[in-house]
Amino acid sequence: MKTAASPNFLLSLLRMPWALLSGSYHFINRLRANRAGFIGFLGLIAYFILTFIMPYFIPFDSEVNLDEIAGPVGSRIQLAVHRDNAHLKTFEDLASKTVGVVDQTGGPSLIAPYADSITIEKYRWTSRRAGPGIRAALLDLADKEIDGMLIFSKTVEQILADDEDLELQAVYREHIVISNPELGPPHLLGTDTQGRDIATHIVHGGRILILTAVIGGVISTLIALVVGSLSALLGGPLDSAMTALSNLILAVPRLPLLVVLAGLIRFDNTLFLGVMIGLLGWPPLMRAIRAQVLSLRERDFVEAARSLGLSTTHIMFREMLPNMISYVMINFIFAITFAMYEQIALLVLGLAPIDDYTWGVMLYFGRSRGTLYNEDGASMALAPVLAIAFFQVCLVLFARALEEVFDPRLRSAV
Amino acid sequence: MYRKTLLGLLLVALSLLAFAPVQAQDNVLNVAWPYQVPPTGHFNTFASGGIALGQYQDLHEPPLAVLMWATGDYQGMVAEEFGWDDDGNYVISIVDGNTWSDGSAMTADDLMATFNIFRLRGDAVWANMSGIEKVDDSTVKFHMESPSSLAERIILTTNLRPASVFGDIADRASMMSPGDDGWDALLQELTEFRPEMPVSGGPYTIQPDTISEANLMLALNPGGFAGDIQHYDMVRMWNGETEVVTPLVANQELHYITHGIPPTTEEDFANRGIDIVRSGMNNGPGLYVNHAVYPLNMVEVRQAIAYAVDRIQNGVVSLGESGVAVEYMTGMSDGLSEAWLSDDVLDSLNTYDHDLMKAEELLMGVGFSRNDAGHWVDDNGDTLSFELTFPQEYADWSAAAENATAQLNDFGFDISARGVQFQQHPQDIYSSNFEMAIRNWGLGDPIPGRSYLQAYNRYNGQGEVAGEGGGAGMNFDNNVDFSGGMVNVFDLSNMSSQGVDKDAQAELVSQLAVSYNELLPAIPLWERYTNNALNRNFIMVPDAGDSIFANFGGGADNWMTTLILTGVTAPADM
Amino acid sequence: MASHSSDLENARVNSPNPVKYVSDFFDRYPIHKNYYLRIFLQALVTIWAVMSFTFVLVRLMPGNPVDVLIEQILTQEGISYQEAYDRVAASFNIDPDASMLDQYVDYVGDLLRLDLGTSITSPGTRVIDEIARFLPWTIFAVGCGFLISFVLGIVLGMTMAYYRDSVLDHSLSLVSSFFTGVPNYIWGLLIIIGPGITWKWFNVGAARGTYDPGLTPGFNAEFIASAIEHALLPIFTYVLATLGSWMLSMKSSTASVLNDDYVNVAEARGLKDRRIITSYVGRNAMLPLFAQLSISIGFVLGSGVVIEEIFVYWGFGHYLFQAITVRDYTGIQGSVLILSSTFVFSNLLADLTYGLLDPRVRITGEK
Repeated sequence: MKTAASPNFLLSLLRMPWALLSGSYHFINRLRANRAGFIGFLGLIAYFILTFIMPYFIPFDSEVNLDEIAGPVGSRIQLAVHRDNAHLKTFEDLASKTVGVVDQTGGPSLIAPYADSITIEKYRWTSRRAGPGIRAALLDLADKEIDGMLIFSKTVEQILADDEDLELQAVYREHIVISNPELGPPHLLGTDTQGRDIATHIVHGGRILILTAVIGGVISTLIALVVGSLSALLGGPLDSAMTALSNLILAVPRLPLLVVLAGLIRFDNTLFLGVMIGLLGWPPLMRAIRAQVLSLRERDFVEAARSLGLSTTHIMFREMLPNMISYVMINFIFAITFAMYEQIALLVLGLAPIDDYTWGVMLYFGRSRGTLYNEDGASMALAPVLAIAFFQVCLVLFARALEEVFDPRLRSAV
Repeated sequence: MYRKTLLGLLLVALSLLAFAPVQAQDNVLNVAWPYQVPPTGHFNTFASGGIALGQYQDLHEPPLAVLMWATGDYQGMVAEEFGWDDDGNYVISIVDGNTWSDGSAMTADDLMATFNIFRLRGDAVWANMSGIEKVDDSTVKFHMESPSSLAERIILTTNLRPASVFGDIADRASMMSPGDDGWDALLQELTEFRPEMPVSGGPYTIQPDTISEANLMLALNPGGFAGDIQHYDMVRMWNGETEVVTPLVANQELHYITHGIPPTTEEDFANRGIDIVRSGMNNGPGLYVNHAVYPLNMVEVRQAIAYAVDRIQNGVVSLGESGVAVEYMTGMSDGLSEAWLSDDVLDSLNTYDHDLMKAEELLMGVGFSRNDAGHWVDDNGDTLSFELTFPQEYADWSAAAENATAQLNDFGFDISARGVQFQQHPQDIYSSNFEMAIRNWGLGDPIPGRSYLQAYNRYNGQGEVAGEGGGAGMNFDNNVDFSGGMVNVFDLSNMSSQGVDKDAQAELVSQLAVSYNELLPAIPLWERYTNNALNRNFIMVPDAGDSIFANFGGGADNWMTTLILTGVTAPADM
Repeated sequence: MASHSSDLENARVNSPNPVKYVSDFFDRYPIHKNYYLRIFLQALVTIWAVMSFTFVLVRLMPGNPVDVLIEQILTQEGISYQEAYDRVAASFNIDPDASMLDQYVDYVGDLLRLDLGTSITSPGTRVIDEIARFLPWTIFAVGCGFLISFVLGIVLGMTMAYYRDSVLDHSLSLVSSFFTGVPNYIWGLLIIIGPGITWKWFNVGAARGTYDPGLTPGFNAEFIASAIEHALLPIFTYVLATLGSWMLSMKSSTASVLNDDYVNVAEARGLKDRRIITSYVGRNAMLPLFAQLSISIGFVLGSGVVIEEIFVYWGFGHYLFQAITVRDYTGIQGSVLILSSTFVFSNLLADLTYGLLDPRVRITGEK
């Protein structure tokens, strides 16, 4: 605007930090009046902490553990001992004892810090069958050749409860007890099809997804706002052209278009996906905004402004925008949720790049590797689904609150 | 209120579903194969889009014979007598007395029609064949240029088609030659031919009016081959891919599937008391490298990769117990290696057991070193950075790629894995547009030389098929120099399936196996075993130890269809 | 495409500022004819543009029908690449040497004769037959689902706006937020796994397909009951997945209308609440949603892909996805043509009926 360089403007720039601070104070105060909206707001902050800050403190679990495949929520490594040694419960108790661990399971890394005090007997994961290494160790434990064994809760349940070999099962049951069911840290959300901790994947899997969705939302909303209001205000050839363009984009089915784009353009960066979704996503909102502007244009106050000879810019920014801001804001949020929905849909259909291990990729792998049909392993797919769903819910709740905070008419009514 | 009424209606509607009739299970065999419904799907099994039910097509269009893999002998099905005559021609007599479901008798004419249509289509079986001749009503002589086990196999695994349906086109084709006027038009007529009814010569016939998206029924065809020894009145063929049929199996509506199921689903099935049957597929994913990319062309680097990747882990995380690590690393399955290689040769093979020290030594030996970050650097000072591509829709291969990448990176490679749409991925390999890739090694075929066609032909210039877009593939020089001398491995793999002298073939196969083992043109990871879900509460077949399970788990010689055709498969409560 | 903005412009042709871009030719004719003809032509141009775009697009897609089919045969049967190639190459009747331009000219020529061509992967099968086989089921399921969720959404949304900040509003808002947040394909999976497999509320197998096998499609009670029964799960999923957004849009729209002067005036005039709700607020608040609905109708036809796969309810979405998977060029082109035409014409319809719903536009139009 023409006042951009005036001293007044610079002064207001200087005041900005304070204005921002007091502004947010008032904003939050106002939000608190709307309980659901406030919950949404807190939820979004929680998501921000979860996906942008926690990754710096919690490392991504990439260690493959063959006995922990599709472990249920809360499963962990336990300590199995001979019935006579039930008093051995902690690593301290095990000092100077011999403890068995099987390679390619979580055991070796868990016991590593105690290598000085504990004698470690390693068993090989000799075969594809989940048994031999573990079964050999269990038999040795039953024979008291070793004093304890680190074993995954799901595995021990399976072997003690319904091992195919009934004779062996009887031996295990007779001699072996779990002295400490909580030896290792629990997998809060269970483990995936490679025996890795899902909770750490949830922590690391949201950042790119959220950024992509926001990028998509910002781009589509901006285009929609500009194109929609200009079309409606200026009319004529511009309106026809833009409406035709939006119709064209809407009329090309998204699926084949994205298959082609995914094949033609190599996405080195998932964020490009957001740009693409944004560039293709504006027409519906543009049409809605156009309709709004057209409807506003007929209102008395705009007619009045027009008859006063005020400029289009003035009418747009001073008369119409304040009246549309709630609509645009709520639709901006929806644009984010839509961008999220769309990128997840692409991922689930296998049409988007799966290089970054995001919630969408977890869902894709979880589904294609059948975890949804397995009670124990379902969280590989369900955890990201819930993470996505609650994120969307928070967004929508927040949008609601924003609507009330920003809508001038609602405000005056309060 | 309005909204309550609507909600109520919805609930009522949903609860109606609860009373949906549960299909009676008596005397119906519930199996599954994905098919297309009409009009996309049709009854011309020579043209694409036809409702061909995979291995179950044998129930409709019976095979001439089935190979019993445990013994290596063919067991005649529709073919009663078969073999080479003194002139090196192949002679087949088919069983008398069977009728097609349209009432016509099953005779030598059907055999003639089937193979004349193959000629019209340009099938590979005619490459080695100069003509076919009807000897009498049940006997046909195939004039061969030279006897070969491959030709025998292709002929015997053929599904017989009815002359009453295809005879007209077949007769006209037999009077023409490729290039004649009207040949192309006839070919087009064949592909656009739409028989009105499915005509079955096997024990069961497709009932066209039962074809829906969900399933189709095949009714007993008493006059057809093996129609008199069946224990079922009907076969219900459920439609759909893995994800669609999984709930049906869990729900005990579908009792046997051949779909590859993920290990976690397997676990769930096992908890429900459903048996998992495994048999070898003779193929699986391997790590292919582009030999034009330095230093992947160095045999030491490929050997180091083989040592550095724990194939047991890779198999387990990819396909559970059905991902069986390859032991002998000969380019064919371990089963074929054991069957065709002498004990001496087997002992001499390097099994590349997981050994990071050996891998380290190999790379050090060619002048590579580790940089400060622990990454490998080749003798030119470049890090071992590669891109590994894989078809991202294939759940087991994508897991294999993910895991192999992680293992190699732990060892000090710098590999980034990238998923590619499955339609595009083979194209990338054909046109050499890759550095490392997960593609399949081996072939589900008992003839060992054919296993090498993937590495030496399909992914390596596509041999004779090249020309139409065939690129250089993995850029491997098929003229190899190994401890046994200089050979052309592609020629070897072709020659080893010619002739009928097994010992001579075995000698060639040994050379193939040993050279592959030394050079590792591509690194096999694991062999895919089937994990067929079989609900023994409903279906009675022999116990797991039976020799029939040595048979191939998919396509020709499938054990389940063989058991049905021999009248063994029966309802469990009988 | 011009919509009611030009309607307004045209309607004001007698006002001091006549529209510049209307040619003299059309001036001689009654204005509405000019308008209708123009938007109709624009619709045709849009469809042509999409058709041409699709034509090029499908040929740029990675992979081609021949190789995809070879790959399929190879993974299913233990045969060599050579054999698979022989078998597949012979059963296709496309001329790989024909230039894209020639193919395009042929295709457009066929289209003008209303012929969508024959399927590439099932040679001899007409694409129009395939579409006619699959499309009605999608229209049925999607239509029902949409209607229910639209009506339900309008009612619930208005309720929420009227009882703003009540417990009802908050709980409905939470529920609708959740409905919106969870993707529709996830709803589908959850329905199969929860009520279907785990709790056995319904028979997963029997609910598949579009109607029970053995019934004759036609206007008989048995068939219709069966069709409805089989469509229930998809419809339920469509309702679940779209209800939330209708509710929220309707709520915010109603909220803003409620603050409009004329509503206050109406209240001041002492009109009954019911009258205000239906003819003043409801009608005006629905306006933005109506625009959304017209967009959605065309859009949603192709959106049932995953749902139809999950419930084995084979409609248009399944057909399109299948065609894309096997790269059946003519099949994709035909489907896209149908989709885009549906979209364009439903918009046309929306434009034409828009004035009927917006009293303000109509009043201006009658001036």
